[in-house]
Amino acid sequence: MVLYDSATLGGSCSGSSSSSSSSKPPPLQQRQQTQQDIDGFLAGAGYRVRSSELRKVAQRLERLETAMVNSPADLSQLASDTIHYNPSDLASWVDSLLSELTQPPTCPSEFIMDPVSNQTVVSDAWTTAEPHMPQVHQNISYEQQSLNNQLTVVPAMEEDSGIRLVHMLMTCAECVQRGDFSLATSCLEDMQGLLTRVNTVCGIGKVAGHFIDALSRRIFQGIGGGSVNGGSAYENELLYHHFYEACPYLKFAHFTANQAILEAFDGHDCVHVVDFNLMHGLQWPALIQALALRPGGPPLLRLTGIGPPSPDGRDSLREIGLRLAELARSVNVRFAFRGVAASRLEDVKPWMLQVNPKESVAVNSIMQLHRLLGSDPNRNSPIETVLSWIRSLNPKIMTVVEQEANHNQPGFLDRFTEALHYYSTMFDSLEACTVQPNKALAEIYIQREIANVVSCEGSARVERHEPLSKWRTRLSGAGFRPLHLGSNAYKQASMLLTLFSAEGYSVEENDGCLTLGWHSRPLIAASAWQAVSDGTADFPA
Amino acid sequence: MVENHSREDHETGGENKEKRPKFFINDHVDILIEILERLDGRSLCVAASVCRLWCTIARNDSLWENLCFRHVSPPPSSVRSVVLALGGYKRLYTGCVRPVRSRLGRVRRATWAGDEVQLSLSLFCVDYYERLGGSNSNGRLVEKSSPSSLMFLCKPVNV
Repeated sequence: MVLYDSATLGGSCSGSSSSSSSSKPPPLQQRQQTQQDIDGFLAGAGYRVRSSELRKVAQRLERLETAMVNSPADLSQLASDTIHYNPSDLASWVDSLLSELTQPPTCPSEFIMDPVSNQTVVSDAWTTAEPHMPQVHQNISYEQQSLNNQLTVVPAMEEDSGIRLVHMLMTCAECVQRGDFSLATSCLEDMQGLLTRVNTVCGIGKVAGHFIDALSRRIFQGIGGGSVNGGSAYENELLYHHFYEACPYLKFAHFTANQAILEAFDGHDCVHVVDFNLMHGLQWPALIQALALRPGGPPLLRLTGIGPPSPDGRDSLREIGLRLAELARSVNVRFAFRGVAASRLEDVKPWMLQVNPKESVAVNSIMQLHRLLGSDPNRNSPIETVLSWIRSLNPKIMTVVEQEANHNQPGFLDRFTEALHYYSTMFDSLEACTVQPNKALAEIYIQREIANVVSCEGSARVERHEPLSKWRTRLSGAGFRPLHLGSNAYKQASMLLTLFSAEGYSVEENDGCLTLGWHSRPLIAASAWQAVSDGTADFPA
Repeated sequence: MVENHSREDHETGGENKEKRPKFFINDHVDILIEILERLDGRSLCVAASVCRLWCTIARNDSLWENLCFRHVSPPPSSVRSVVLALGGYKRLYTGCVRPVRSRLGRVRRATWAGDEVQLSLSLFCVDYYERLGGSNSNGRLVEKSSPSSLMFLCKPVNV
């Protein structure tokens, strides 16, 4: 039976030429134009459905598929009936099928096959949400067996959707890089439609959702950053704390850095630690306890914590300092705390730290140095400024922990691709955590990073991660030499990971530095450095 | 005299055999402690619900100290004051040492035995610090439902 007028197929070709001639109308009109084009294609193919309805159609088809799979009735009945359901009107056709399946099915297989073959013809014409059933079988026989075959490939379809999502993300990013925002916008809509078909609770769907958000933020709100960086200090600390609990990256960072600092302070009685980002001070209790128990007794410990100023007059730095002091008092470690409030690390001057020349200094930077890499042509490079004053303090050790990723490339598409891989891996590793609300808040923490990497530029983009090899070059060039982290740190890191009970984490040693990764993709790297002495007598042990 | 005495004993021997008191462990607390010292953590907790005396003894921190450092070379004396300041050996064992040992036990490496306790101590300290925040602060910094750094130890993770 012919279900549509084959002459109208010729009409689909005329629709495509109308969209290319327009000269940069505002995005809204452009979108409407594209929608009209799609409607034209659909009409040309004989379908009476509008592109705006396609998402609903897709959802209903999903339900139809579920109903078919779960239907207790013998589906061979579908092959025998001959009632005409007008498949060209997709929406009502799907609805009728759905209602049939909840009752004894009477829909003939022919009417299921025909739209399928039609859609394989026109599937190149648009990329918005399509019904589930086609695409896999190019040679469709009008028999009932093929219906069953189609139903069994549904799980593969979901994977297929995931892969398509990734491809579309890359396409969209490429459009953004080219400046073709109209095409990027339509890509975004397509992706939103695809998202309804993919499981967004885990896996590629969830990560893709975050990247789609970040891209739309970039396209519609510009690259100024807006609310991405506007989180209050309190929120940031809370998210950071939950990220600390949910996955081992920060724990690994803290424990490894502490071990290196502990070993560097061996034999010194007056020690001073400078922390570039105090947050809740979760790193320091373990160091205080280790110093309390070290053979020879604890030294006098001074801690200087740098953090953002608190907006409402609460001195959060001081509160953390008091807590740490109380803990130090309980374990009999002489302790002194000083807080330095600065909104940016480059605003800190060495005199604020009040370093005593007789004490041994350790500088601790957990994921802070990459924020200094944004270069403003009007000022000196902030990273060089900071590294030079660190060097002037002559620290016994500088512990640097950074994300192991290359998110500071100049080209947007490269950065986007790298970020997609990196954060997909990180989200995979987060699946192992089941403790709520840690996991949800940790995801928000990561999501903010994604938004910053993808949707910000210039001084608003602070998440400028660089891989370990680049940091090595940079730090060696600034007058530091690497210190090897040693087997104790490695042992401790391995034990810590085993505790996390998730079989995917791996600690690796990389030329004296330790990296923690998920399934052999390193995600975070810890290293230790010492200032190269300028020929004076103080040679490190 | 001696004969009289022995005859008396002999006469009352039969009655003594019936009236001789049984051995009652609660009368011999030192033996009880020796026995409880050799129990594992779970049995010790069960023992604490037997009677009041056992409960008092089982709560004694030195028993738990024994548990923590069993199979490990004796720690320096300074450890005790630190652990007591951070919340005591029972808490250290139930919160940290036991889960750490059971999880690391799956990947048994002989070189780790002493380090397990070290790591447990560090985690214990972080946990103490977080509890400090919960009780002292004005409530904004760390709330009731705040993350505990030991949560990842308590909840079993299925891979």
